[in-house]
Amino acid sequence: MDERYTDKELPSWLLKGQDYEPAADRDGFVTRTFLQLSGMLAQLRFDGAGRSVHAPHVAMELCCVLACIILTSLATNFLFVCVMLAIMLVRACMLPARVLGRFARVTLAAATLTLLVMLPAVLVGQPRSAITLATKALVCTGMVMETALTTPAAELTAALRTLRVPSVAILTLELTLRSIADLGTVALKVLEALRLRSVGKNDRKASSMGGVGGVVFVKAAHLSQQTYDAMRCRCFTGTYDVGHDMGERHRVANAACLGMLAALLLLFFCLEGMV
Amino acid sequence: MHIPENYLSPQTCGVFGVAMVPILVHATRKVRAEVPAEKIPLIGVAAAFSFLSMMFNIPIPGGTTGHAVCGTLIAILFGPWAAVLAVSAALVIQALLFGDGGVLALGANCFNIAFVLPMVGFGVYSWVRDRTSNDLLAAGVGSYVGLNAAALCTAIEFGIQPMLFHDAAGQALYCPYPLSVSVPAMMLGHLTMWGAAEVLFTVGILAFLKNAAPSFGIETGTATSKSTIVPAVILLAVLALATPLGLIAEGDAWGEWGAEDLAQMVGYEPAGFSGWEWGAIMPDYTLAGLPDFVAYILSAVIGIALLVLVFRLIGLGRRTQPDFG
Repeated sequence: MDERYTDKELPSWLLKGQDYEPAADRDGFVTRTFLQLSGMLAQLRFDGAGRSVHAPHVAMELCCVLACIILTSLATNFLFVCVMLAIMLVRACMLPARVLGRFARVTLAAATLTLLVMLPAVLVGQPRSAITLATKALVCTGMVMETALTTPAAELTAALRTLRVPSVAILTLELTLRSIADLGTVALKVLEALRLRSVGKNDRKASSMGGVGGVVFVKAAHLSQQTYDAMRCRCFTGTYDVGHDMGERHRVANAACLGMLAALLLLFFCLEGMV
Repeated sequence: MHIPENYLSPQTCGVFGVAMVPILVHATRKVRAEVPAEKIPLIGVAAAFSFLSMMFNIPIPGGTTGHAVCGTLIAILFGPWAAVLAVSAALVIQALLFGDGGVLALGANCFNIAFVLPMVGFGVYSWVRDRTSNDLLAAGVGSYVGLNAAALCTAIEFGIQPMLFHDAAGQALYCPYPLSVSVPAMMLGHLTMWGAAEVLFTVGILAFLKNAAPSFGIETGTATSKSTIVPAVILLAVLALATPLGLIAEGDAWGEWGAEDLAQMVGYEPAGFSGWEWGAIMPDYTLAGLPDFVAYILSAVIGIALLVLVFRLIGLGRRTQPDFG
């Protein structure tokens, strides 16, 4: 036992009862920001685990989805829209469970909004127009979401090269995505620190959010300098060549994708009376 | 067995609509409590079986057609309350998208086909299984009795309309056939061909699932895996491709005639038939410009996909409680 103190000589603050109850504080903004950042990072860090090994190459899939959206939008025959609806729904059935909720929310929101905008058409006795447009919105949004939710961001940006998007644009996009992920992590840690340090009522919490932004900004400056230095060390000359390889393993799936697109084109032209 | 629009009075539709609300609420609570979250998507697959079996029209002499329902099958696999939800979902999609069954008559259709059929069927199945220990025999008997109980309810709902709702001249405002006509007409087909079809579908699919996917139902308690889902999906695909067989049977089911056909049969068009009617996007599973057999397959694909998606989303909504034990 420490001989410097006896019971009678304990400091008064040590003898006080531990009955401190922190006052309630409103930290909804911090919590919501925290959750939004976490959700965004989880989406960015998605590694495409739900993507089937039998799926076509991402570039091929992007081209097919784009073609299907254009055909669906141009279709004047509701029959073609129904065929696209069936294809979209079957693909949706195979989505991984963790993205299904988001898929349903976004597609239904798009269709509902379209229906609301087209409500005057229902009132003047043209309900068919409203249903056709809402179905088209559902189909197009659904197809985009299915591709976006099952493909990692890195593969999507690589596929853009195949579509002849300039390499500097792809480089900028990839660096942006990477920075969002890294800086998002920094922001999360700083927010967590702010919450942990806010015991009881903290009136300076709102002004501390400015500090969070400042820390992230300073970190961003450091990261960009480090990225530039790394690129120079690796003899970056300004060209950014993403692989053009469509992948041997995607050959069958690519062929099936092309075949389906050809069939849909034929159906479209037949139904529009062009054949 | 689907009651079309304007065959029942708005009052009758209202009564059954109100009656279905507590039934559906109770069914939802029971499914949440008794069915594991991972099995809920399989209820969607089972609902798809019910949807497909209702697309196979089977004719009987006399020119009318009918169909199986497989409600007892779902009750055996997932419990009677899950069957209420699953068949209700199938009926809603049929009414809204394909015009099979009236939208106003949805409450009555759900009461007969989604509530009476699986409840009676499961009750009889349990009683027979306890005495014979033969699952397939019990399923056959249960599905037969369940289908006929639902048909009897439908016939009674049709038959009381002329008695309760008629004009000053005595002409019926809605369904014009009294009980003395509706009950024999409905029960003849269901006691014979359509009852046999219901037994065939129920016993056949149950036997297949027992062999190929034994962990499909909730009684097994085992986790769902690809080996559970793949055989069921293959069977669904085969049935979907076979749905155009339902087109071979010409003629409408009893009580599902259009206004003009009914007017020709009874000599007048009941006044209530000029009421509101829902415009389905693919009425009678057909689309203008598409061969009927292709439209049937397309309808089957859309119906199956929607049912699977709906129940997958319902399963996602179930939050798993952490086990602190």
